[in-house]
Amino acid sequence: MNFLYVTKKLLSAFLTLIAVVIFNFFLFRVVDRDPLAKYRGRSKLSIAQREIMIERLGLNGSKWQQFITYIKSTARLDFGRSFDSTRPVLREISDRLPATLLLVGISTILTILIGVYIGARAGWQRGSRFDRVSTSATMVLYATPEFFFGMLLLAFIAGRTGWFPTGGLRDVGADTSGFASILDRAHHLVLPSLTLTLGYLGSYSLIMRTSMLETLGEDYLTTARAKGLRDRDVMMRHAVPNALLPSVSFIAISFGFVIGGAITTETVFSYPGLGLATADAIRNTDLPMLQALFLVASSAVIIFNLLADLTYGLLDPRIGRAK
Amino acid sequence: MSIEAVQVSPRQMTWLRRRRALLRVWRELRHDRSGFTGLLLLVFFGVVAAAAPLIADRSELLAAAGRNNPDLAAPSAKFLLGTDDIGRSVLSQLVWGSRVSLFIGLLATVVAVVIGSTVGLISGYVKGRVGSLLLAIDDFFLVVPFLPLAIVLAVILGRSPVTLALVIGFTSWAGSARLVRAQVLSLSERGYVERARALGANSRHVILRHVLPGVAPLIIANATLIVPGAILTESTLSFLGFGDRLSPSWGKLLDGAQSSGSITLNAWWYYLPPGICIITVVLAFTLFGRALERIFDPRLAGR
Amino acid sequence: MIDSPVLKVRDLYVTYQSSFGPVPAVRGVDLDIALGETLGLAGESGCGKSTLAMALLRLVPPATQISGSILLDGQSVLTMKPGQLRLVRWAQASIVFQGAQHVLNPVQRIGSQIDEAIQLHHGSTSSTVREMLALVGLSDGCADDYPHELSGGQKQRVMIAMALSCNPLLIIADEPTTALDVMVQAQILQLLDNIKRERGLSMLFITHDLSVLSHNTDRVAVMYAGRIVEVGPAEELLRGSIHPYSRALAESFPIIGDPKSRHQPKGLAGDPPDPNSLPSGCPFHPRCNVAIDSCKSIDIKLSAVTKSIDRQVACVHANDESRSVK
Ligand SMILES: Nc1ncnc2c1ncn2[C@@H]1O[C@H](COP(=O)(O)OP(=O)(O)OP(=O)(O)O)[C@@H](O)[C@H]1O
Ligand code: SF4
Ligand SMILES: [Mg+2]
Repeated sequence: MNFLYVTKKLLSAFLTLIAVVIFNFFLFRVVDRDPLAKYRGRSKLSIAQREIMIERLGLNGSKWQQFITYIKSTARLDFGRSFDSTRPVLREISDRLPATLLLVGISTILTILIGVYIGARAGWQRGSRFDRVSTSATMVLYATPEFFFGMLLLAFIAGRTGWFPTGGLRDVGADTSGFASILDRAHHLVLPSLTLTLGYLGSYSLIMRTSMLETLGEDYLTTARAKGLRDRDVMMRHAVPNALLPSVSFIAISFGFVIGGAITTETVFSYPGLGLATADAIRNTDLPMLQALFLVASSAVIIFNLLADLTYGLLDPRIGRAK
Repeated sequence: MSIEAVQVSPRQMTWLRRRRALLRVWRELRHDRSGFTGLLLLVFFGVVAAAAPLIADRSELLAAAGRNNPDLAAPSAKFLLGTDDIGRSVLSQLVWGSRVSLFIGLLATVVAVVIGSTVGLISGYVKGRVGSLLLAIDDFFLVVPFLPLAIVLAVILGRSPVTLALVIGFTSWAGSARLVRAQVLSLSERGYVERARALGANSRHVILRHVLPGVAPLIIANATLIVPGAILTESTLSFLGFGDRLSPSWGKLLDGAQSSGSITLNAWWYYLPPGICIITVVLAFTLFGRALERIFDPRLAGR
Repeated sequence: MIDSPVLKVRDLYVTYQSSFGPVPAVRGVDLDIALGETLGLAGESGCGKSTLAMALLRLVPPATQISGSILLDGQSVLTMKPGQLRLVRWAQASIVFQGAQHVLNPVQRIGSQIDEAIQLHHGSTSSTVREMLALVGLSDGCADDYPHELSGGQKQRVMIAMALSCNPLLIIADEPTTALDVMVQAQILQLLDNIKRERGLSMLFITHDLSVLSHNTDRVAVMYAGRIVEVGPAEELLRGSIHPYSRALAESFPIIGDPKSRHQPKGLAGDPPDPNSLPSGCPFHPRCNVAIDSCKSIDIKLSAVTKSIDRQVACVHANDESRSVK
């Protein structure tokens, strides 16, 4: 991986980000003819209040002037105030971001690890019992909406056994510092992250299985076998590193789905992160929140794609290695 | 045979050829166990959706219908799948829900396939600025997370089923555009297009008469695989509050089950059936679509 | 021990399973290679050369049926347990594969790919990556390279270094120069020749180009449709082949160092038969210009010719006066 490759990827991520910001404006100011109507819908506005709202939402002037205002405030990370709580959107988001990062981070890592393992093994032992069972299972996983998983886990594990809390971030009245609080948070994370992991395990392992099947006929695997390597080592040292390459970009693209999954999962478990905030914003038609949440979600996917590209560069020596 | 052949017009010939191709697909499908199972399940749900008025009266969906019934009652002879939190029969809602879910799923797929194929065909066929612009747009839509986008669009544009379908379609075409484009490129590599062009055909003609038939099987298989995604997206959006409680899709039923606390109340008859229906239909479309893919693209056989 | 061959193959059958049914790619092959001897194996594309080579180390797909016997340094390859087989692979016999482009792992450094073999069999070898690279004329620096950074010839050198790294008794070279340009071909052939002499290795040298065999082989076997149709001392066989197929094969290539032969290249009409549907009788009869009626029904076994005890031929005409050795 060389400087040129990294620069190119950074640049393209940056350009995509700009495109998302512009697209965001387009959605909320052009596709949406009358944003104010959504606010007015819930409480009558006096003329004076209306003026203030127009000013605050940056709706005054021509579309072009609005665009300039929008760009300026977005650059300052000023997304206005939530229609619902009337707190600054930035505060709402930064308060809830850590919880979601934790949930999505843990689930993504688990999904990748388990999905890659299952897919690699199923592809390697294609047609075996493991392959048949795991492929059927992943198809069912794929077909299940993740929030239904969440509901099942709530009903049959949290509800029946009481081993896990049914929702929230931490127990009410629990310590907010120290080891006990970490344990408490972890306890609350188990079911949501299990839900999200199960929800996307299917696609990840199918992706890995397909790329594994594509490497099965490669000549270097015969070389490895001829050298006297065990089947396991042929797979781990030669097949998997090659099969991972095409999977990386597919996994990056599917990350967008995981973000979507976080929204419903947090809703099921009343887990106060950005996902729950999105669900609330939908029910309250809270445009400023939605606008910012859309930007955050898109940026997360762009960043994740960038990381995937860089990982790819590290894994594949053929990518612009300076000689 | 040769005498017969003389008598059929070119149009009939095309028809015969298509019929033969369809027969081949049907024969291979009969021997594809999982694909055929998927098809049977789809036929079942299709019949239920079509026959909904015969199974349950539409008035049973009205809020007033449940007024005299017990709320969240367990399954009984009168209510085979119990009642919901305002006393309406879950089974009736489930039956009518199949209409809503399938309708939105199919309409969204049509939208996605039309946009995706058009973008894919043109970006694969037209080189130069138009091609690369379309490719850039496609790249952009592949990156933008589709659920948040669909949410934003649905909030802005409205919550009716048709709007939901349009929104879902508009957010799920990027993958198929990519696929169609790749197929077009490989067709042109095989000299398919060059030959037609050399005979003096214009672009429109070449795309519609030569390229489109070449990619049609792929588009059909791909469409079958977009439907399950669209149904899942619909259920997710409904679960998040979109959609109509008085004409609920399966996802909307799950939303009702969740917000009425049926889980803590152990009212399994409320939340299990819609979930199982979603899983089954999505699975059926996936199995069927993958079988079509295998039949149309023998390279995938044995996967 | 001196007399017992390094490789002794008897009645080897290899049948692939495909979606169209069984594919008999090798059908009853006998082979012997003595210590330090090089056997050239020639035949058109698809006649089963690679299949034979792979079967020697049981490297064919799992569903493939193999029968007969393969003795490698006296040990029976076909009956040994998987653990034993892994020990024998590369340490007793190694392979220089056909087409060096894809036989190296693209995401692993050259050095570590060679070292992997050395580590695996360190009981039988004390060589180092550096020594092996030097042996094939590559610099130390190559160890840190990835395959895509090397030329085709360099990759084939790496493959040879890898094949030598565990001190095998036998090297199986499967068309080691096919994908390379002519200059590089000559260098690689020279390299193999030198190494083989220095180390007293036995070699099975596979090619579809008879002309490369004249210099570096002791004996030559000609293969057709999964069988050996003629075998004998290299010089003798190349100058005067008896089987009509070997003749056609020899004539379709100029013999290096014999300017006269360049002027009489005679192509062979038709394609080699598909192992799925072999012709009856002698499988060569549809393409043979001296076939007689009985050839359509009677398949002649490989057997010694009366003239020379070193030579065996599978043809009705094997002992005809007019067609035997000059
Ligand atoms: N895995 C396989 N499954 C089924 N048939 C196979 C398989 N591998 C090879 N064959 C068939 O077996 C026959 C012998 O193939 P093989 O590769 O041994 O020929 P070859 O003499 O090495 O040819 P070449 O000079 O092209 O390398 C061919 O007809 C080939 O199509
Ligand atoms: S046996 Fe007959 S067909 Fe076969 S090579 Fe000899 S002459 Fe030709
Ligand atoms: Mg070969």
